[in-house]
Amino acid sequence: MLHESLTIVDAGPFDRVDPDEFVRAAMQWHFDPATGSRYWLDRAERLDFDPRHDVKGVADLVLFPDLADELRGVRVADLIPRGYGSGARLLNVFDSGGTTGAPKRVIQLDDWMGHSTEQVNRRLRAHGLPDGGLWLTVAPTGPHLVGDVLQRAAAGLGSVGLSVDMDPRWVRKLVAAGRADDVDAYTDHLVDQCRRILLSQDIGVIAATTPLLERFAREDGLVEMINGSAKAIIWGGTHMDPDTRELLSTEVFPDVPVIGMYGNTLMLTALMERVGLTASEPCVFDPVSPYVFLSVVDPGTGERVEVGERGQVVVSHVSKSMLIPNNMERDTALRVRPDEGHVGDAVADVAPVPTVKGETVIEGVY
Amino acid sequence: MTTVKLADPLYLDALGPRGAYRTRVPTSVTDVTGTEVARLSLVPPLFVTRAMAALRQAGPIPAADLDGLLAAAADAFASGTIGGLGVREYEQLVSRTSGTPLSVVHAATDGTARFVRQARSSAWRGRPVGAAGGLRDSAIREGHAVWVRQGDVFAVNASGNHPGVHRLWLEALALGYRVAVRPSRREPFTPYRLVGALRQAGVRDDQLVLLPTDHRTADTVVRDADRALVYGGDDVVAKYANDPGVLSQGPGRSKILITADTDWRDHLDTIVASVADEGGTACVNATAVLLEGDPAPLAEAIAARLSALPSLPPQDERAVLPVCARERAHALSAYLGTVAAGTRAWLGGDGIADDLGDGSAVLRPAVHQTDSADAVQLRSELPFPCVWVAPWSRSDGIAPLRDTLVLSALTCDGELLDALLSEPTIANLYIGDQPTYWMAPGVPHDSYLSDFLMRSKAVFDAR
Repeated sequence: MLHESLTIVDAGPFDRVDPDEFVRAAMQWHFDPATGSRYWLDRAERLDFDPRHDVKGVADLVLFPDLADELRGVRVADLIPRGYGSGARLLNVFDSGGTTGAPKRVIQLDDWMGHSTEQVNRRLRAHGLPDGGLWLTVAPTGPHLVGDVLQRAAAGLGSVGLSVDMDPRWVRKLVAAGRADDVDAYTDHLVDQCRRILLSQDIGVIAATTPLLERFAREDGLVEMINGSAKAIIWGGTHMDPDTRELLSTEVFPDVPVIGMYGNTLMLTALMERVGLTASEPCVFDPVSPYVFLSVVDPGTGERVEVGERGQVVVSHVSKSMLIPNNMERDTALRVRPDEGHVGDAVADVAPVPTVKGETVIEGVY
Repeated sequence: MTTVKLADPLYLDALGPRGAYRTRVPTSVTDVTGTEVARLSLVPPLFVTRAMAALRQAGPIPAADLDGLLAAAADAFASGTIGGLGVREYEQLVSRTSGTPLSVVHAATDGTARFVRQARSSAWRGRPVGAAGGLRDSAIREGHAVWVRQGDVFAVNASGNHPGVHRLWLEALALGYRVAVRPSRREPFTPYRLVGALRQAGVRDDQLVLLPTDHRTADTVVRDADRALVYGGDDVVAKYANDPGVLSQGPGRSKILITADTDWRDHLDTIVASVADEGGTACVNATAVLLEGDPAPLAEAIAARLSALPSLPPQDERAVLPVCARERAHALSAYLGTVAAGTRAWLGGDGIADDLGDGSAVLRPAVHQTDSADAVQLRSELPFPCVWVAPWSRSDGIAPLRDTLVLSALTCDGELLDALLSEPTIANLYIGDQPTYWMAPGVPHDSYLSDFLMRSKAVFDAR
């Protein structure tokens, strides 16, 4: 039994393991005193259920409370499952964005990185991305997962990414302080770096955030060059509303496929846009069985919304390297049926959770 | 996260440089009771930047056609069918969504049409006498100067408190600017109709656009323009205080001053009208009345008049008071209670929100008396008939009269009038029995708009 479980938790993204079986095996792994991480073994004592007994499949992951907040303070060593022994290959420690307080920390082990990159690359190939050639990636690196995902994706396609670094936390601080001029100056600083790369190198794939692509769109020379030579544009790291997506695909970059990427730190990977959608259809992101499960819920009741309705996105990450169940993201999305072979929900037209303001009075007649 | 589904919703599309544009999920426009009446397409920043770039590429409206074009647009606005709406339907919608009494909206339609018709001549009133109109103007040989635009693209971030806010930007269009109008989300109908009317009359799609946006994207509209006119509260005024490209229209804090040589009883109609006409929601409505003498009888008389005004839904033809959503009305009422602490309430001391039972509430008038001319309350401008009556004496001087959009001075004191005229922070001075809300085409509202839009360039033609 133990032996079988261990084999299953090692499964790759295209080994077609049964997701329920995988989740059961992962529970054995994370909650067995011999293999689980110190964090989960300690935490299990304060759960009002027994994960090894009560979690019989994907649907039972809802038994877990949302413990993501605890990742703000956990020691890295306590997150590594003991079952890896001394052979654990810790590649990175990533931070969440830190929009809501101190960042949450996750670990990236070598085996998970392999699975993640494999699934990203398979989906990029399905989008027709070429092997070889150069990428331009404009994304947060360092403590942020997204830059790493993009670099590895490029490498997985036999390419290399010329990267422009960015610090999203600083930008958020500027925005919060109402320093719009400084935000513009920082964006210009990024665009200056991108322009030099785009004008001097043969860039086949551009991966950037929505605001950067919007900024590129203001420069006729850059737009012309990108339309002339790029094979794909990947957007991610921030939201893109469906109207902007359609304008970018049909009016600004009509000659280049514009491909969405949705992910966040606690998902520990990125979901690529479903292949074959037109610019006027909702931008759908399928989950990645058996590791990443999505559900779209009513934030008030926690119940799943109907297919086609909008709700808040709940993400569970289940792998040999980490277990992050039931994390309520600050995103809303339309609930969509997932592609064949994947369980749970797919999501479409992901948007930020709206901020609700009370009735306040500002003087004057306007 | 559910939206009400209408069988046959009215869509207010963005009016972009390549025609109408409808977003994937237009946002609801609701009336004061919360009922959806239309769906407005809020465009994303990318649409804004592309539209603004298109405006920059387009040329000005040819001066030769201008008066005829404006006359046709005025007719279309006042009586045509635009976006499927006749003028009466349009006025109903404005009234229901902004809560402005229907009679006020109706009068504003004719007023706005008049401003449209005269937009060119109004705009040109601000031209310095020494500056010629163009290179082919013979006046150039005398003044050696030409009046020229300071930019190409003008934006207005409009408010929805009164349809009349859309009269000013017409002058920018008439001066050759290409114009982007960002409408109020609460009342987008007036700018939609005005832009539609001007387009029907021949303004090209790439010369005049309507860009409904959310709050954040509105900044993009303002920042991409060479000159922008922005309506808002003190926060907005402060935000753009150091931006020479932005003209803020903040609280008007209009006032009436009555000196001892004038009997206020002879002018009560004008005083009450200044406070409450137009629903009391305009920046030119009087916020404070300062009286040299005992203010109590005057406050009592104003309160007696205003207390008689009926509480009615805004689209009722007899309505004269503004209406808004119940929650907002109660918030305003509570706010007034806080602000008014320490003053003597003559009307509205127990609250000003009068529920209509349909989710909306009438904002009833408030009259308060302050102890002194320098009471902080005199700066509190609220979007309904709300007036602070204060004593004023010569020793108070000009200070309590500063920061005023319109000052109506009921006085025979010529020296005082000279001082009021000299005071830079009093934008407009009306002398004698003239209500604060009076406006006319070609008369400066907050100086000539062209002072902000144009400059004079020396030109010497030695050919």
